[in-house]
Amino acid sequence: MKARLLVLWVVVGLPLLWGVLKTLQNAMKLFQ
Amino acid sequence: MTASILDREHTVAAPGYNRYLVPPAALAVHLSIGQAYAFSTFNLPLTKLIGLSHSAPGDWDLKQVGWIFSIAIVFLGSSAAVFGSWVERVGPRKSMFTAALCFGGGFLVSAFGIHLHQLWLIYLGYGVLGGCGLGIGYISPVSTLIKWFPDRPGMATGMAIMGFGGGALIAAPLSVMLMDHFKTAASNGVLETFVTMGVIYFMYMMIGVYAVRVPAADWKPTGWVAPVQPKQLVTTANVAVDTAWRTPQFWLLWVVLCMNVTAGIGVLGQASPMIQEIFTGRVTPAMAAGFVGLISLFNMIGRFFWASTSDYIGRRSTYMIFFLLGIVLYSSVPTLGHIGSIPLFVAAFCIILSMYGGGFATVPAYLRDMFGTYQVGAIHGRLLTAWSVAGVLGPVLVNYIRQFQIDSGVPKAQAYSITMYIMCGLLLIGFLCNFAMRAVDEKYHYRGSTS
Repeated sequence: MKARLLVLWVVVGLPLLWGVLKTLQNAMKLFQ
Repeated sequence: MTASILDREHTVAAPGYNRYLVPPAALAVHLSIGQAYAFSTFNLPLTKLIGLSHSAPGDWDLKQVGWIFSIAIVFLGSSAAVFGSWVERVGPRKSMFTAALCFGGGFLVSAFGIHLHQLWLIYLGYGVLGGCGLGIGYISPVSTLIKWFPDRPGMATGMAIMGFGGGALIAAPLSVMLMDHFKTAASNGVLETFVTMGVIYFMYMMIGVYAVRVPAADWKPTGWVAPVQPKQLVTTANVAVDTAWRTPQFWLLWVVLCMNVTAGIGVLGQASPMIQEIFTGRVTPAMAAGFVGLISLFNMIGRFFWASTSDYIGRRSTYMIFFLLGIVLYSSVPTLGHIGSIPLFVAAFCIILSMYGGGFATVPAYLRDMFGTYQVGAIHGRLLTAWSVAGVLGPVLVNYIRQFQIDSGVPKAQAYSITMYIMCGLLLIGFLCNFAMRAVDEKYHYRGSTS
């Protein structure tokens, strides 16, 4: 159950983290 | 996959099931359908399907293409309202599966429309079919999450609805990457991107279909005891969907959501030109794009933050903060523009957009407090018609008032001041409706079996 929990959270967490990082990279232009 | 696997009775969780498996299932759906907020990345490429590097004769114009998103949002609200009771009856798995078929299928029908260069097929595909996928997918996991987390309903639904905000953060760079990847001398890559996204999103939503479970009727979190003396404005009774929308509370909440969304959505759509025009010569288009990204991020964070906070301070108090703080911030925007403070301007809009997202994410728990858990998903679906109205009202207010001001000779940098004060007026209406909120009269309570 714990492994399944981890896998599911990674599956949704990784794309979200990628999207947040890309957005932050873009947002940094505002302060350059 | 047979129909029976999708039925509610096949999704009842076994004893010992970890309830934290349900939020990622909901997130898989919401992260997918949140793509809608990033649809504008396709607007320009869709106007260059024939000319490729420029709009050629026969290419669609931006106005025509802009209708795709508008149709999708209208169908989001209306399908959530129409299919809410069905979603409640058949359970989250079948409704998530339907949403995946509609949303993924919408992309594929639209790709066919691009292939034939028939705009009506894109209106039908992404707009109507995809819009239904958005509406059904949006409400599918809400009541399930509320039932799994009776102790933290705000946090649970906030987590899922945060996914809708986060979906745009993924879809925007993903769309650009895919279009670049598929670009050839004969195609700008939109058709191939639509096919790829349709397949990817369908498969990703299927993770949610596979993982979602409903709790057994008598299930409660370990160690949790339902409060004997309920808090003010938190009911232990239930109200059926067909009764709920005859109560004043439903319409007060409808106005509360509509006003909160109208104020935020107008700004979100006009954020890039607005910051460039208010700070003329100081903010470049690239910096403005960074501003849009930043406020989108706060839109997402606000969904989780405010909905979780509402579990501790109450839903009505949370909306009081949205409206009062919103009035202070909106009314300070003209001054911040006048003194030329970009950091304070950006900070004000980050907080405003966090409260815009927070409004979406807190409302399911507010509905649960007012109407109980029995048909909260269906009631939520009907309330989302407020989003459809706000989706038209917000941009119209911001765009038309700006244009009217400019036509009247007001400098562009000051053309948004009146709009900001009108937003304050809308927030005041929302504040008054929220202030008037009282518990639902007992005559509306549902007396039948809720199992």
